[in-house]
Amino acid sequence: MSVAGAVPPLLPVESRFRATRRHEIRLAYLLLSPTLLLLLLVLAYPLGWEVWTSLTDFSPLNDGPPTFVGLANYRHLLATEEFWRAATVTVVYAAVTSVVKLILGIGFALLLARPFRGRALVFLAIFLPWAYPASVSVIGWYWTLSPPIPTAYSVFMGTMKYAVDGAFGSGAWAFLSVTLFNVWRGSSFIGVFLLAGINAIPSELFECALLESKSRWRRFRLVTVPLLLPFIALAVFLSLTTAFADLANVWMLTAGRIAFPVVGTQAYWLAIKAGQFGPAAALSLMLVPVLLAALLVLFRMFDPPEASRS
Amino acid sequence: MAQVLMKDLNKKYDEVHAVKDVNLHIRDKEFVVLVGPSGCGKSTTLRMVAGLEEITAGEISIGDRVVNDLPPKDRDIAMVFQNYALYPHMTVYDNMAFGLKMRKFPKAEIQKRVQDAAEILGIQELLKRKPRQLSGGQRQRVAVGRAIVRHPQVFLFDEPLSNLDAKLRVQMRVELKRLHDRLETTAIYVTHDQVEAMTLGDRVVVMKDGWVQQVGEPLELYGHPANRFVAGFIGSPAMNFIEVGIKDGGALWADTAGFRVKVPANRFDRLKSYVGQPVTVGIRPEDLHLATGGDAADATFDAVVEVVEPLGSEILLDVKVGASSMVARVDPTVRVKVHEPIRLALNAERLHFFDKKSEVAI
Repeated sequence: MSVAGAVPPLLPVESRFRATRRHEIRLAYLLLSPTLLLLLLVLAYPLGWEVWTSLTDFSPLNDGPPTFVGLANYRHLLATEEFWRAATVTVVYAAVTSVVKLILGIGFALLLARPFRGRALVFLAIFLPWAYPASVSVIGWYWTLSPPIPTAYSVFMGTMKYAVDGAFGSGAWAFLSVTLFNVWRGSSFIGVFLLAGINAIPSELFECALLESKSRWRRFRLVTVPLLLPFIALAVFLSLTTAFADLANVWMLTAGRIAFPVVGTQAYWLAIKAGQFGPAAALSLMLVPVLLAALLVLFRMFDPPEASRS
Repeated sequence: MAQVLMKDLNKKYDEVHAVKDVNLHIRDKEFVVLVGPSGCGKSTTLRMVAGLEEITAGEISIGDRVVNDLPPKDRDIAMVFQNYALYPHMTVYDNMAFGLKMRKFPKAEIQKRVQDAAEILGIQELLKRKPRQLSGGQRQRVAVGRAIVRHPQVFLFDEPLSNLDAKLRVQMRVELKRLHDRLETTAIYVTHDQVEAMTLGDRVVVMKDGWVQQVGEPLELYGHPANRFVAGFIGSPAMNFIEVGIKDGGALWADTAGFRVKVPANRFDRLKSYVGQPVTVGIRPEDLHLATGGDAADATFDAVVEVVEPLGSEILLDVKVGASSMVARVDPTVRVKVHEPIRLALNAERLHFFDKKSEVAI
């Protein structure tokens, strides 16, 4: 006699199945735990520590342990002119380089999309800037723009530097060099990345467009671009994040002497040189919400949510 | 007048000569099917008509214009691709309207044409959907609709049904035929499926290795194949072939181990010169049946059953005749067992003979 809502007892076969299942799930977690541990150590812990530090006045120059100061670091930063200067420079730098890299990258991808004689060499030329280690190629750039050996060329470069610095303030030449280097590397990466995107588009879609339109520009705008949009969105996001976090490039190129502060270098200076870990942490974390907002906008714009099946 | 003329058409890719000296005259409103195995050059020929491939040599005219140097857009053709080629980011309506929008048609005209085509194809409810929300058959219909709205002079179909499952393919085949009757537009259709070719084509062009093997109405190709390839390609199950010698013994006999049938009198003239030489004989499975008392002895031969394939409407018997294998299509009421020796009779009038070396029909 069964009561409504009562669960019938498990058959012997079913309960054995359930036990095996439970065992498998436990085993799965066990196998995942090394990775999870690694992630916690390498990502979560430093991030957590940074967030915590940004809320304190932690500094090796202070006597006594760090005290919790809440959002004081952030408020202080927002009030300084230096921060706003660095932020503006960072944003402009990120935006301009991303746009230029995107245009160049699209150009490279379109160039390489169709087979032609010598394509392999062109591909190599376009791919190398990104593939080659930055720490080595940056030296090449540095010497190109600030030649260490006096020659007629170095004199010419010196004049350029003088002119640019004179027009835009000292450090402008260095900043320009950084920008050029970033664009050189980034457009290479985006070119190859978008080429993969183009190759993912079935050729019949292009052929169909050929049958309907004679204008290459229109075919590009109405067929290629919409189909490439998710790839472009990702490429732009990657450009933005690397620009924002471009401490390494700027530091390496200018040995930290850059007078056009970028948020990344400023945070580094604050932390390592000035010993203000708390404010430095706050400064570097200021970038995070902006990046998240940009990511959201990008993916909403370029990869809109699918309409549900009616 | 939307006839299509191909004169001495050739296509070479570096070393590969894909299309060789194709000469075709496709009449206005005709539905012509290019059929053949993979690599025979049929798709390449179609793409040259479309303008998606450069013409190495020869001439193509559509209507009364030579189109060799015209860009695809100006040739007044519309193409349906094997993989539908629908733009995934556009709705069905936008996909169908795309070509007209590119040609700057007024909005009202576009709407009318799209609605009409949607009605003909039964896809009116799908107009707001995106391709990923459609089934294969629906996508194919949209692809056809996109071609219809252009009201072109010539439709080009590149294996449009190959990606559909068997049942859907049969259904769409009938719909396409009805569509052609309704629209009365010249069409060139490429397929590797001889059933599609036979059922859809007003005329069929069989191609192999870049050459045109034969052009003719379906039944003409079936009954009078010009060479062994066409004979074996058209018809399912395929024609049986057996190597024989022609012997003279009062009348002419086709003779080999386990198989000896008399050549019908009306073929004597043509086969006389082949006496003492090997010849390929072809007989279709449907022209074989179990021997009865009424069959002439010189049109029968022994065989051993190897496989029995009951199809319901008929039975296919895979048999061994001497050293060769054959397929016979027999009545569904026949009861035979595997390894059973039987006696088969053939319809001697339906024998085909092919020169062994040149493979041309005798």
